[in-house]
Amino acid sequence: MEKLLDMTALICQGAVVTLEIFVITLLLSLPIGGLAALGRLSKFKPLSLLMEFYVWIMRGTPLMLQLLFVYFALPMVGIRLPDIAAALLAFVLNYAAYFAEIFRAGLQAIPRGQFEAAHVLGLPHWHTMKRIVFPQVLRIVLPPISNETINLIKDTSLIYILAMNDLLRVARTIVQREFDMTPFVIAGIFYLVMTAVLTWAFKKLEAYYGKYDA
Amino acid sequence: MANTMLELTNIHKSFGDNQVLRGIDLVVDKGEVLAVLGPSGSGKSTMLRCINHLETIDKGDIHIKGQALVEGGVYVNEKRQREVLAATGMVFQQFNLFPHMTVLENLIEAPIYVKGVARDEAIKTAENLLAKVGLSEVRDRYPARLSGGQQQRVAIARALAMKPDILLFDEPTSALDPELTGEVLKTMRELAAEHMTMVVVTHEMAFAREAASRVIFMAGGVIVEENEPKAFFNNPKEERTKAFLRNML
Repeated sequence: MEKLLDMTALICQGAVVTLEIFVITLLLSLPIGGLAALGRLSKFKPLSLLMEFYVWIMRGTPLMLQLLFVYFALPMVGIRLPDIAAALLAFVLNYAAYFAEIFRAGLQAIPRGQFEAAHVLGLPHWHTMKRIVFPQVLRIVLPPISNETINLIKDTSLIYILAMNDLLRVARTIVQREFDMTPFVIAGIFYLVMTAVLTWAFKKLEAYYGKYDA
Repeated sequence: MANTMLELTNIHKSFGDNQVLRGIDLVVDKGEVLAVLGPSGSGKSTMLRCINHLETIDKGDIHIKGQALVEGGVYVNEKRQREVLAATGMVFQQFNLFPHMTVLENLIEAPIYVKGVARDEAIKTAENLLAKVGLSEVRDRYPARLSGGQQQRVAIARALAMKPDILLFDEPTSALDPELTGEVLKTMRELAAEHMTMVVVTHEMAFAREAASRVIFMAGGVIVEENEPKAFFNNPKEERTKAFLRNML
């Protein structure tokens, strides 16, 4: 029993690292993704093409490769980042690209009539975006954002290749040392609890922002 | 001139190779209710959408209350456009209410943020307008909970909340079930009786005949015939008008 508590305490420390990566990645990649979506839809062609290229690279290569690239390849050209910053850079760039595609689809789903109604009422462009368009986009994008967010919590386990002691790596270390599979079960429970909390939170958000549906 | 609300001069508009408007001249005076008839593809909706710059014209002038929106195909700057277009309001075929806002919020958004009206005052005006269109009871509902006819009446109230001098209607009953068009037409008739200046693109012959003060018939991007309703329906002069009316009545 005491052994079990010790294991759980260690895994808890790993969970803190996992949550740290998760929260910071989410906080940074959501706004960056939003801006990238606006850039992608911009009438300024070079910006739009650049964003398309960015999304193509990030979605077209494995996240694992991107992590390794930031961690091992960048130092070769003199860019040396602390471990956690390197991991965050890769995660944020990758997830912002996925979020950008979700936001783009959401923005494009708003009927033209909404913009026209705002125009004939004399609402300025930015006000139209802020008060008319974004609240409706939010409702559309919440389900896919929820999906990606749950993926992210599991994807954080990829940092084990960067020798950072996240939830999964701590569990694996104990398994190898003690030759006991229990830590894997505990880690699994940790992931399940985290995704359950996220699922619940997104359900609440969806209900709140969907309250105007018939 | 003081009585002229709207003046279109030699308007041309193309979508790619498709010339939709080929020289439209039109003057609408204060208090007039102008019904715009014509087969689909005649350019009548495009003409209406050019008036408030939902479409950009290629050539011509548009003056609203004597103020230029566009002259010689060149538009005034954006700030000035907003000032000139403040005199106009529009009602769409698809209502285009803001679905995430309640009926009341739909009505007060623009008065508060565009005109700087105090919130209490905007709410009072909105409530009066809802009473006028007979919809006081839906004040706090979301548009999706309303019938099409109710949504369109809310859309009319939303346009009126900005106190426009001229109201544009783009086929306001075309998206409605037949049994719901009556309530919208009734609201429009009441506005006409109050001498609201209105330009109404419509397929409702009865409305054009009874509520309009003048009718124009468009085909192929030009105004083919124009007259007061009685003469228009009883003695159409042009062959194309006669053919159109035969099909509609």
